[in-house]
Amino acid sequence: MRTRIAGGRVIDPVHARDAVGDLWISDGHIIDAPPGTAADETYDAAGKIVMAGAIDIHSHIAGWNVNTARLLLPEFHRAAASRPAATPLSNAGWSTFATGCLYAQMGFTTVVEPAVLPHYALHAHLELADIPIIDKATLTVLGNDDFLLGMMREREGDAAVQDYVAWTLEATRSLGVKVVNAGGSLALKANVRQFGFDDMVPQYGVSSRAIVKTLQRATHALGVPHPLHVHCNNLGMAGSDATALTTIAAAEGLPLHLAHLQFYGYGKDGRRGFSSAAPRLAEAVNGARNVTIDVGQVMFGQTVTISLDTLRQFNSRQHARPRKWVILEGDANGAGIVPYDYRASDFYNAVQWAAGLELFLLIDDPWRVFFTTDHPNGAPFTTYPDIFALLMDRDLRARQIAALPPEAMAVTTLPAITREYSLSEIATMTRAAPARLLGLTDRGHLGPGAVADIAVYADERDRAKMFRAAALVFKDGELVVRDGAVTHCRSGRALTVRPERDRAIDRRMTGYYEERYGLSDTFLKVPEHAVGQPFGLVPCVR
Amino acid sequence: MGRAWIGGKLVELERALAEAARLLAASRCPLIAGLGTDVAGARAAIRLAERIGAILDHANSDVLLRDLAVLREAGMMLTTPNEARLRADALLLVGPTPAAMATELASAKGEAHPGRKIVRLCPGRAATSVPGETTVGRDPAQLPTLLAALRARVAGRPAGKLGVPAQPIEDVATQLKAARFGVAVWSAADLDPLAIEMLCGIVTDLNAQTRFNGFSVTPGDNAVGVLQACGWMTGFPMRTGFGRGYPEHDPWRFDGDRMMASREADCVLWISAYAPAASPWRDGPPVIALTSGDAARAGHPDVQIEVGRPGVDHDSIEHCAALGTLVAVAATQRSETLPVADALGRIVAALPEAAR
Repeated sequence: MRTRIAGGRVIDPVHARDAVGDLWISDGHIIDAPPGTAADETYDAAGKIVMAGAIDIHSHIAGWNVNTARLLLPEFHRAAASRPAATPLSNAGWSTFATGCLYAQMGFTTVVEPAVLPHYALHAHLELADIPIIDKATLTVLGNDDFLLGMMREREGDAAVQDYVAWTLEATRSLGVKVVNAGGSLALKANVRQFGFDDMVPQYGVSSRAIVKTLQRATHALGVPHPLHVHCNNLGMAGSDATALTTIAAAEGLPLHLAHLQFYGYGKDGRRGFSSAAPRLAEAVNGARNVTIDVGQVMFGQTVTISLDTLRQFNSRQHARPRKWVILEGDANGAGIVPYDYRASDFYNAVQWAAGLELFLLIDDPWRVFFTTDHPNGAPFTTYPDIFALLMDRDLRARQIAALPPEAMAVTTLPAITREYSLSEIATMTRAAPARLLGLTDRGHLGPGAVADIAVYADERDRAKMFRAAALVFKDGELVVRDGAVTHCRSGRALTVRPERDRAIDRRMTGYYEERYGLSDTFLKVPEHAVGQPFGLVPCVR
Repeated sequence: MGRAWIGGKLVELERALAEAARLLAASRCPLIAGLGTDVAGARAAIRLAERIGAILDHANSDVLLRDLAVLREAGMMLTTPNEARLRADALLLVGPTPAAMATELASAKGEAHPGRKIVRLCPGRAATSVPGETTVGRDPAQLPTLLAALRARVAGRPAGKLGVPAQPIEDVATQLKAARFGVAVWSAADLDPLAIEMLCGIVTDLNAQTRFNGFSVTPGDNAVGVLQACGWMTGFPMRTGFGRGYPEHDPWRFDGDRMMASREADCVLWISAYAPAASPWRDGPPVIALTSGDAARAGHPDVQIEVGRPGVDHDSIEHCAALGTLVAVAATQRSETLPVADALGRIVAALPEAAR
């Protein structure tokens, strides 16, 4: 069957296309316009914007932490309406089903859950399988685990670490590696309350820097397309800009991705010793072509912070709004769930809001800066349309700045920034660049052969309204959303990599689990049959 | 395939499935209870509940919800039994249920953790003292008072008026504060929510200076695995109802015992796959039972469908207490007996169109 999306303004930065025209779909993929053939079905996109489906590289949507946040905060997610027939359980206030539907309605077709501990990978994949419509992937978190740090302490060398990383990626069926406050969670178990890039992990004698560099080299050498995804030390503290700058410098030319950089965009200037350091960070990112970042934008309102940075969450529990939290000391990282209410009247929260927008607007290359709110840590993912609107409209920004504490705006440069994102830059940041960053060559663009993940938007003056409710969304060529409502519930895939390894590591891991845990290592492996949705394999690039 | 009975008489499986579907479709307020099943069975039960507007409860909800009440009122600092085993230099074993944990939390090779301090609070009247360990109190009824006194002394506040022996409490407080990575262990079967909150408060207070965490001994029948599936699918724990077409959680309103006592529920789907336990209710509305074992062992319900034992007759995913996470368990005596998820899927397929 051939489908034609007719007469829309097609924006595809990968193919330098921004013109009115048709898009053709056959068998779930985009095809060249077939000469002289009529379409079996045609969707009128005249006056509308046509883009590839959007890709979110960092959003906490599944796993023990997210589920514990649900159980901690039942008062936040009461359901509002009885279910629409086509979408089972999507009306539950904060369910996996609602997650898939809400993303699809905004034109998103691929989302990465970036914080999965190996022992919780099966749980995360079970939740992902219950997120309908979209494709998903996970990043596996290493760097506070006894096995890796033990290897480093014994100076086992890069080849051994690569085998371990490759084994873990396959066992946990993930798309890449993340490190969260490298060594910091292990240090907290030894009652260390502050941990920097060059501090040593007690009992292992390795520094945070060494852990990051070891994992960065391993990820690169294995040919995993997504570079090491780094959550730096000292998140959220005044002066944490220095930590981020040190980490950027330590990348030394190899690819590195820094997550939610906004949370490190704080200097110590001003009367309160808290100011935006986003311009300094943006300058460093502009000068380091090997570095990509996502923002972690703060938007005002109630949310909950969900993080594997146990040290940070342990320390920030005093600021919980409302005053309750869960801190877990698990194997390796553990987790912390701390609800928080970002207030427009709060000096610190207003500086955070401005610092995030400064990063978006001062980093000049839309291929290397990614929209995220670090969902739900800076704000829920449902605020993305509002962020796109702020980036595209300086008058809208000026109106919101005017309502914020002037003292906060005085320690940022945001009021002076006039840049506005174009639709093409939005398409780069939300489609083309994420696909390239994750190694997903089959999406993020509208060229022939691409997966037919397509979002069609009404060309509204109100960009937030436009991006909140897509006119049409196709996933793998199937129509799933019309006029902002889900019309068809389908199951997606989980995207994984499987780099090669020396199989000797398998026996070693079996022995390690038997000795340390008295259990078989099979318990943490994610069996394909158990999950109930197919996996898609993304090739490595070695 | 499993066996099936209607009114105690062996029948074809298809007939029993159809009769189950007929009873559920005719019900105005169906209750899905027991819920002793693996994650796949729980997922199927939740989808069925949404279809027919049923209420979901678990046989161990009472115990589970005591811990959850504290979690969502005050929060908790938690760890896993495994982390406790590897790292704890002090164990605070609260009440009779965790009394056996000191042995379970020895190292993987079974030897005692060097220098580990063990304190038992109210292990029960029958418990005997263990050399080298500290025991304070016997009768679990004393626990709320002892915990209050201990929290006061840990925080440096007076506890004189609580009427508990001062010196033993003082000694325990000193031991806990001296721990470098201490772990408190309790079971919500032994404690009410206020006592659990007091204990979790002690753990939090200790973290002002040192590291201390806790965990509760989880109830059986995969209660935590079902809780997790319920959480991601509905946003809520068990005792969630779909009567209005969307999930509502209310620990009182959707308590299966209460709904049966008040005759609100007019049909019960009872699930007990791990062990062939009968539903606890007699002389009430029709009961459809999905249990391992035969109708006699299921208490002669109106409809009985034999289902497989998770991890025995078929592969399963369930909660592993030692690791505090969901794990994949391979079948140990693989058989053709119907898994709960498949039985529920076939009941859904047999529902009349209007109820689907």
